[in-house]
Amino acid sequence: MQSHAEEKSSTLKAVSQRVPLWRDVVVIKWVTQIGLLAVVVASLWFLAGQAGDNLRARNINTGFDFLERPPDIQLSEGIDTSPATGGRALWVGMVNTLRMAVVGIIFATVLGVVVGLARLSNNWLIKRLAGLWIETLRNVPLLVQMIFYFAVLTALPRVSLESGPINGWLHVSNKGISMPRIFISDGFYQWITVVAVGCLAAFFIRKQRIKKHDLTGENTHAVYWAFFTVCTFALIGLFIHPVFGFVGGIFSALATLFENIPTTLIKVLLSSILIFFAARWIRNFFASRRSATGHLSLIDDDIFRMIFVGAGALIAIIVVVAWTGISSWILNSGRDLFHMLEAKFEVDGAARPFDAMKPDIVKPGKFANYGTNGLTMGPGFAAVFFGVVFYTSAFVAEIIRGGILAVPKGQIEAANAVGLSRGQSLRHIVLPQAIRIILPPMGNQYLNLTKNTSLAIAVGYSDIVQVGQTVYNQTGKSLPVMAIWMLFYLTCSLTISVIVNFYNVRMKIVER
Amino acid sequence: MTNFKDSTSTDQLNSDPAEAESSSRELPPKIAALSPSEWLKANLFSSTFNSILTVISVAAILLILRGLLSFIFNPLRQWSATATNMRLLMTQAYPENQYVRIWVSLGFLLFLAGVSLAFWRAGRRVQIAQVGKQLLAIGAFILLTTLLAPFSNKATIIWLLIGVFIIGVGMFLKPADEQKTVSSLTLLSGAFLLAILSLWVIPYGHHSYISTRTPKILAEPGTVAMTTKLPWTIMLGVAISSYFLACIFRDKIDEAKSKAVLSAAWLISPLFLLFLVLRDPDFDTGHLFSTDIPIFVFFSVVGSVLLLWLTKPEIGEKGRIISTAILFIGFGTFAISMLMIVRILTLCLAFFALAAPTFSGQKPARIRYAKVWIATMVILCWLITAINTPSTAKVPGDFFIGGFAITLMIFFFTMVLAFPLGVLLALARTSKFPIFRIISTTFIEFIRGVPLITILIFFSVMVPLFLPEGMDLTEIAAVTIAFIIFEAAYLAENVRGGLQSVTRGQHEAAEAVGMTNAQKTFFIVLPQALRVAIPPMVGQIIATFKETGLLAIIGIFDFLYIARSVIPGQTEYMGSTRENLLFVSLVYLVICFSMSKASQRVEKRVGLGER
Amino acid sequence: MSDNETASSTRRDRDLTNAQDMIVCEGVSKWFGDFQALNGVSATIKEQEVVVVLGPSGSGKSTWIRCINRLEQHQEGRIVVDGVELSNDLRNIEKVRSEVGMVFQMFNLFPHLTVRDNISLAPIWVRKKPRTEAEEQATALLERVGIPEQADKFPGQLSGGQQQRVAIARALAMEPKVMLFDEPTSALDPEMIKEVLDVMKELALSGMTMMVVTHEMGFAKEVADKIMFMEGGQIVEMGTPEHFFTNPTEERTKLFLSQIL
Repeated sequence: MQSHAEEKSSTLKAVSQRVPLWRDVVVIKWVTQIGLLAVVVASLWFLAGQAGDNLRARNINTGFDFLERPPDIQLSEGIDTSPATGGRALWVGMVNTLRMAVVGIIFATVLGVVVGLARLSNNWLIKRLAGLWIETLRNVPLLVQMIFYFAVLTALPRVSLESGPINGWLHVSNKGISMPRIFISDGFYQWITVVAVGCLAAFFIRKQRIKKHDLTGENTHAVYWAFFTVCTFALIGLFIHPVFGFVGGIFSALATLFENIPTTLIKVLLSSILIFFAARWIRNFFASRRSATGHLSLIDDDIFRMIFVGAGALIAIIVVVAWTGISSWILNSGRDLFHMLEAKFEVDGAARPFDAMKPDIVKPGKFANYGTNGLTMGPGFAAVFFGVVFYTSAFVAEIIRGGILAVPKGQIEAANAVGLSRGQSLRHIVLPQAIRIILPPMGNQYLNLTKNTSLAIAVGYSDIVQVGQTVYNQTGKSLPVMAIWMLFYLTCSLTISVIVNFYNVRMKIVER
Repeated sequence: MTNFKDSTSTDQLNSDPAEAESSSRELPPKIAALSPSEWLKANLFSSTFNSILTVISVAAILLILRGLLSFIFNPLRQWSATATNMRLLMTQAYPENQYVRIWVSLGFLLFLAGVSLAFWRAGRRVQIAQVGKQLLAIGAFILLTTLLAPFSNKATIIWLLIGVFIIGVGMFLKPADEQKTVSSLTLLSGAFLLAILSLWVIPYGHHSYISTRTPKILAEPGTVAMTTKLPWTIMLGVAISSYFLACIFRDKIDEAKSKAVLSAAWLISPLFLLFLVLRDPDFDTGHLFSTDIPIFVFFSVVGSVLLLWLTKPEIGEKGRIISTAILFIGFGTFAISMLMIVRILTLCLAFFALAAPTFSGQKPARIRYAKVWIATMVILCWLITAINTPSTAKVPGDFFIGGFAITLMIFFFTMVLAFPLGVLLALARTSKFPIFRIISTTFIEFIRGVPLITILIFFSVMVPLFLPEGMDLTEIAAVTIAFIIFEAAYLAENVRGGLQSVTRGQHEAAEAVGMTNAQKTFFIVLPQALRVAIPPMVGQIIATFKETGLLAIIGIFDFLYIARSVIPGQTEYMGSTRENLLFVSLVYLVICFSMSKASQRVEKRVGLGER
Repeated sequence: MSDNETASSTRRDRDLTNAQDMIVCEGVSKWFGDFQALNGVSATIKEQEVVVVLGPSGSGKSTWIRCINRLEQHQEGRIVVDGVELSNDLRNIEKVRSEVGMVFQMFNLFPHLTVRDNISLAPIWVRKKPRTEAEEQATALLERVGIPEQADKFPGQLSGGQQQRVAIARALAMEPKVMLFDEPTSALDPEMIKEVLDVMKELALSGMTMMVVTHEMGFAKEVADKIMFMEGGQIVEMGTPEHFFTNPTEERTKLFLSQIL
């Protein structure tokens, strides 16, 4: 070996030379990427320039000032049917969308689980009916279904003082469906504080019981203990909740604090948080690339990542420092939040946490209408609601069925072999595995449902899209309104996927 | 082209062992059929709980069926609204004297369908006994319905007789031997034959929509059956005869090649039908000879010479540099004023040049590549010229066709264009290049995060704002682009799943035999990935078809919009929304249901479900 | 294969001192994150030489031969194959890839192509051969590895041993100057190992330069010109099979041999 050393190094020298730029794989890789980036940026720049020119030519102003101006809008339903400003109108739309999404998700899940289990039933008729339900509802477009339900609802008889099916309890008419309602009342926030204290107590009790179980081995029913503690607190809370009126004082103090913090402090705080995270990321990155002997080897991707993170952090800091609006917005919203909470606690001691009311029908002039007492679903709401719930339930049912069938038969046999009862094997063996299969596609369905509520525009339910369209038809601010839509839906999607991912990760850890 | 060959050979692969197995394996002992009472006990009344469920659901079914029937057969229902406006629903206000164009297009598509069915050997064997059983069930259902429905005495007797007749046929067929089978295609054409025969016999509706007395829209008695029975008969004849013709010829010509030609015909012919038959562009001969043809000739000749040279195996990185230069020129053309067609063709040439090293080789391979280039030029030039030429078929309204036809058209264009875009996005998202990944991921997640309707509204409202001066895009085109972008993002996720299922070993093996990245992707990774991605992609295609209904929201005269807003707006048919919507639902239901069933069958046949 | 014994003995006698260097590695190092997989590997493999690389799992054998046709990228040191240095130069990478054949542990045949297409795909598109010529060559190679009748089947229909032989044929179709084998028999059932080893022996006899990572000691004794023993990303011991199996110098080699024999 040694004897060849000289000869070898000469061979190596002969072949070694500088690589021409156009043949260097690293150069090619980065030129291609930067080229694509340049094309994308240039096209966006070009389009933005075009849009700017066109907007100027048509005298369209793209500012967000319409959010502060009073609109001329009457909404069909929502927390505020004649909003004072454009921003308020859009806010009502968002609340309507979220309300529909949450209610829809709950009902679609329940209905879907029932249909999915029915599909697995050993009763031939039930199985076939569930199959019919699934195949029909998922093969007819949601929009067609919604419009059909709307047409059916609006073709119902007019509302009158004698409207049924159960007058005074349940009314169905062309104005929608009205039924009794239970709602949270003024004392609710004080009561929920009591429950929160109860949860804290339950946590400690459960911990203590588990400890006892570990020491003695006897069944200490830790979960039941915790549950009953919370229930007890909730029950007692119904009577003693006014005690917690003092919490309002704490919130008032917090609000005062937020009023008096200078914006510079927030700027410094935000910047240092950003610097901290970027620095930590880069430090960890170096640590992961360094070998045990302290040798550092970076490839071009690594350098790119560091530049990306560093530049991102720098831009964020500049934005935070230069744009005082962000800091003052944080301060203002903090103050408003605490003021609001303070107000929630300033109620008279006799206020009940919950209340219930029967629906009513009023006849102020010639025509009767539903009063405000009952829980009323307008035809628009009902059409969207039935549409998304029925449509999604068909998909949920298929997911549930697939998930349960996907648990291998051997698992149940193994559970029986170690002597678990039917219920135990279902609870400890089949369900955990099925849920792990079911959860990701369910998250997808929830996302779809949330996005599908946007079809409400076809039946005139005042969701964010419908309100937004009305707003831009009146003000001509189509671009800002669309930006708000997209931002809103992206936030919703992101939130749902974060929740689902969180559960996915947790499930996996529990599994192991 | 390789793809088609692959898929057929896989079919053989999957069928061979199965056949061998079934012939060698002993038949399992037959399970004795349960007697009706045993069956009832086992399936409906196995426990108290089940019995209660059964009783409740039977009661519910009877009630709901009764309610539904009394809704449908209520004399107040205006079913004639749907029947009268059938033409409006299908093609909107397409002029009656031009209608033959639509029939010709449909006839051509049916011809293609017949030939393709023959070449792909579609259809399966159905046991005659099974058909008998189905007929028995249908007959029993008709009897039940008739008894529940609020018919007049005469109608009840007619329907009862029909039910009894069907049951009779079923009884006759049911005891048939298990070996006796019939092709599902025969059954299908039989069903169509019956439907068309009924057009000749039963006086359906006897209405047609006539818009001569505009602006007042009124319906006059005409006849749906009379205007359509002859064309439909011819259509069925075309489909069946093309099938048999293809059956005769399929053994005499190269199968793989003809399948490739057929697939290309499916992709391209709708474009030609749209422009040649339905639109019949009014070409300006002077402009054609002075500009369009010279441009076409220049690009085909220069392009083929260049590509022939670039596909030489020994060209090396010289070719790469030249292709990049053409690409830069292509992008540069956007900075100066120039004919749009030249810009598009230059970019197209640049992409062909960039792909040239992948397909380089000996003379036959190079000539094939040049041929593909010229074919692309023919199609592109013809299309661009056709789009920029006014149509001879003048129809009232914004676009030359509407109704169900526009639903189908947008669906077709979306699928054809979203697929390649989706594959590109998926490749970028799984690429080794971080910037590609970031751009693609941002795009896909953004599109998937917002509802389709906001994208549609954005495009239909905002696109005019983003266009340079002098360029114009109809609303239909803008909306189609929105659909394409939306579906591409979803298809990209499906394809990404497929790409991730290709193991690292496959990549390494391809690299180890010296393939370039492009060759690896094209020959090794994509064929495997797409096969895995077929089931989710079919699901996405069905979803797209359902989403075409959203056109109605942005006010395009599609199927749903006409059914919901236009027909109930006619004075005779106020309040006929529910009837029309039921019809629309039925059409969507039948199409989506049969698509999903067909895809399940294809999956089984290709053996995808077994992976 | 009956004259294996005589053949191998003739190989041992062959004088390789004047042969050209085929693969030269000099101080090759590679890290996976924190983990150093290769720690300054230096070795020379001459033309027509058959080198067997031994070592416990995780010792960097596979990483090393994967670096030689750049399936992994080495971070320090140099690798020169047939006078071409592996660097960022695109042309060099393409050249080395098409001159170095590789056989994998898991075969990695293309499941969507027939056996014939598996073999002829690369010659057609990389070597730019006409299709007919490439297919004739594929048939000839299949005969050489002893399975001409399987040409129109798909990889999934073949046994493991047959698949690995197809993989060898696929690598040979590129007419490589060096063949790398990454544990070619580890994924095979015992009764199939011999058919693959026979093909490899025949290949060694025909004068192919080969580098083999394997646990088949019989093969190493019989066919190898040189044996390298790796541990912890380093070449611990290097020598002829006689030297290696009869009186190894290093303690670690002795330990390894005592465990494996």
